[in-house]
Amino acid sequence: MPPKKRNRTGKRKKKARTPKRVVRPRVVMPGPTYVVNKEFAFFNELHSLILKPSPAERGELMRRIASLGRVKLAVISGVFLNTPDQTALIDTNAPTDLFLVADDYSKQKLSAFLKALESEVGKEIKFGIMDREEFMYRFGMFDRFVRVLLEGPHEKLINKLGI
Amino acid sequence: MSKSVLDNLFGSRARVKILKFIFRTHPEQFTFRDVVQRTQESEDIVKKELAVLESMHLVRRISNGS
Repeated sequence: MPPKKRNRTGKRKKKARTPKRVVRPRVVMPGPTYVVNKEFAFFNELHSLILKPSPAERGELMRRIASLGRVKLAVISGVFLNTPDQTALIDTNAPTDLFLVADDYSKQKLSAFLKALESEVGKEIKFGIMDREEFMYRFGMFDRFVRVLLEGPHEKLINKLGI
Repeated sequence: MSKSVLDNLFGSRARVKILKFIFRTHPEQFTFRDVVQRTQESEDIVKKELAVLESMHLVRRISNGS
């Protein structure tokens, strides 16, 4: 190897080379881009079959919510009520897809549950949770959020508050 | 967890999740990465399922990404 060149200050010149490992945030490639083909022979049939809310799913959802902890109230709306033709209409109006009132629950369980639920629904879920005290206070004062939720299209999966 | 009717009908839970995602997303376009993230399925499975959907012309590939 030739001797290292030194510049006037005697310091070793920085080598202009690319280090073997560059530490930079991992760039995740988005991969190919797709779009649904509307001309697909059974487009409409498949669309409504896939997005049809089923009673069995409702029961399953209720069971899973109940297992999160002491849930006093569970209200579904928005994405969970959609029939395919109304998708666009309801989606934009519903402030929340899932709303819970619970005093005692595991945050970890809850976030795992939401992640799984989003993967099954195929969409981000607008979610809200309050403890009983806050909810009753807001309910009593006709809080806007609570009012919009309970006056709009919704369904109560669990209701131990008698509202 | 018990399999839903759709999971049984379509033969795969992952396939149903992917179908739900693409119909929910329609008419917006989506990337391979979007599907993996949203469905929480492995890249291999998503790749395989998208290839099936593409071969039967239910989805169209509009760019190859990089």
